[in-house]
Amino acid sequence: MVKVEVFSSPGCGKCAQAKALLKAIAEELGQDRVTWREVNILEEMDYAVDLGVMSSPAIAINGELVFSSLPGAGKLRAELDRRLK
Amino acid sequence: MHTIGKLAQCAEVTTDTVRYYEKEGLLAPASKTDAGYRLYDEDSVRRLRFIRQAQQCGFSLTEIRELLALKNSDAACCRDVRSVAIEKKLQLEHKIRALQVMSRALTELVKICDVETKPLDECPILAALENSMAKKVKGKGNG
Repeated sequence: MVKVEVFSSPGCGKCAQAKALLKAIAEELGQDRVTWREVNILEEMDYAVDLGVMSSPAIAINGELVFSSLPGAGKLRAELDRRLK
Repeated sequence: MHTIGKLAQCAEVTTDTVRYYEKEGLLAPASKTDAGYRLYDEDSVRRLRFIRQAQQCGFSLTEIRELLALKNSDAACCRDVRSVAIEKKLQLEHKIRALQVMSRALTELVKICDVETKPLDECPILAALENSMAKKVKGKGNG
């Protein structure tokens, strides 16, 4: 099981569209294989700092900061495929 | 219109600070007198107060320049400023963590020095600092 966490702040318009696209990719792989959690950075600032998040939006996979900005669809897909092997 | 002295007084800074901000391109006089003295308007006062307030929130002059550009950009909106503020807060939280680690390290050092009257060459704090540096160098050598 791969756990994807997306850190962003509510009301971030530029994130919303990109996030929806990335979420669809995660869901394509099956919810039993990939979980998707959207983290409100303002509510979970301590957790974000624990993971080393320095900017928003960012993506952590299995509790490790992997993308410090939103990746393209291909990059996320490749990273998830690699971890699911 | 304000002279540089009056402007500095309004924002509780020195005239040197005003000149420095000008040199950094953050502020500019509205006009000059015939004798060449700088004159500032109310916009300058607001801008100077903005710079000071932003500095107190931890923004660097480079970041303040970006904030001022956002403030004057027709394409930008409140959301853009908010995201700059959120990133700044993240940076500050990271710094706070780093400072807490340093503070804990100092607490440990203070604890090991229980006799304040020892001569300097027996100072356990200096010895611990020296040893930890030696360990680091040794560790690197082995690695």
